[in-house]
Amino acid sequence: MLGREDEAVIQADAYIDALLAAHGGLPAALPDAAAGPSEQLRRTIELLEARLPRFHPSFRFEEALAGRLRAAASMDSSAPRPPGSTIPQLPIDTRLPGLAENVMFDRRLLLGGAIASGVSLAGAAMFVRAQRRSGRARSRREWLS
Amino acid sequence: MEAARRDPHAFEALYRKYVAQVYSFALYELRNPHAAEDLTAQVFLRALAGLSEFREQGAGDESSFRVWLFQICRNSISNERRRQRRHPEAPLDTVLDHAAPDDVAERAADRQELARALAAIYALPADRRRALVLRFVHEMSAREIGQVLGKSESAVRVTIHRALRQVTEQLRQPRGPAH
Repeated sequence: MLGREDEAVIQADAYIDALLAAHGGLPAALPDAAAGPSEQLRRTIELLEARLPRFHPSFRFEEALAGRLRAAASMDSSAPRPPGSTIPQLPIDTRLPGLAENVMFDRRLLLGGAIASGVSLAGAAMFVRAQRRSGRARSRREWLS
Repeated sequence: MEAARRDPHAFEALYRKYVAQVYSFALYELRNPHAAEDLTAQVFLRALAGLSEFREQGAGDESSFRVWLFQICRNSISNERRRQRRHPEAPLDTVLDHAAPDDVAERAADRQELARALAAIYALPADRRRALVLRFVHEMSAREIGQVLGKSESAVRVTIHRALRQVTEQLRQPRGPAH
């Protein structure tokens, strides 16, 4: 039998899962108010889900580090390896179209705001995310005021 | 596929996919964009050097690579924190300014809301803060967070729940001076 905290923990986790799934465009049913976490906890979860940003490094930094990694990879691949050793299978296939689309998505953000101004990508990324979420965030703001 | 197994240049695709996530986690922890960049570089260089030690335990979207990368990141942050103990903690405004460089009058409310959320997050103990950031910013499951932080899945759920209760209490406090 679950204790009260155990139940509250499970309810909160399920509510977060549902919100994140909805944010990701996946079908998700939010639990009923009676079956979900308390009203106050729900508002906190909604606030964090809506407002905490993901930061992006500057284009200059990203490209400079990419160059360092390419150089390091070249040195690594030219070094002699023990017989039988291989680089392990990578968890993604670079030829998958989905990856190229993701990269292009970042590049579109970049072209949309950061290259011309030299400003960090954070601005563009934040703007897009803020726009996407502003509707939901607006409805929650009353609680904080 | 065999070619990809032997091609370290394929690492760049992983780098492009995860660089923002690693940087973002580092910035939440260190609150300093330059320190976050240094740490991000460290993490990817270490990951590249240690790629032969990585053991895939999933497939596709269930790949364990991200967890492995965040484990390196967590360890690097711990090292950085030990090194930083002699230095004062960066102010919250550093993160806030980085988050809203396009701040204008009509976004003042957004900024204020973000400031309160960040202040509440930073009032948490480190393990609770990290669990919340991984859950909400990086959208990791409790299982993945457990692997990153070295906790069980159920312990992560409890940590997150307690963190949420603490943040709720913090948000109910009367407002302090504006950031």
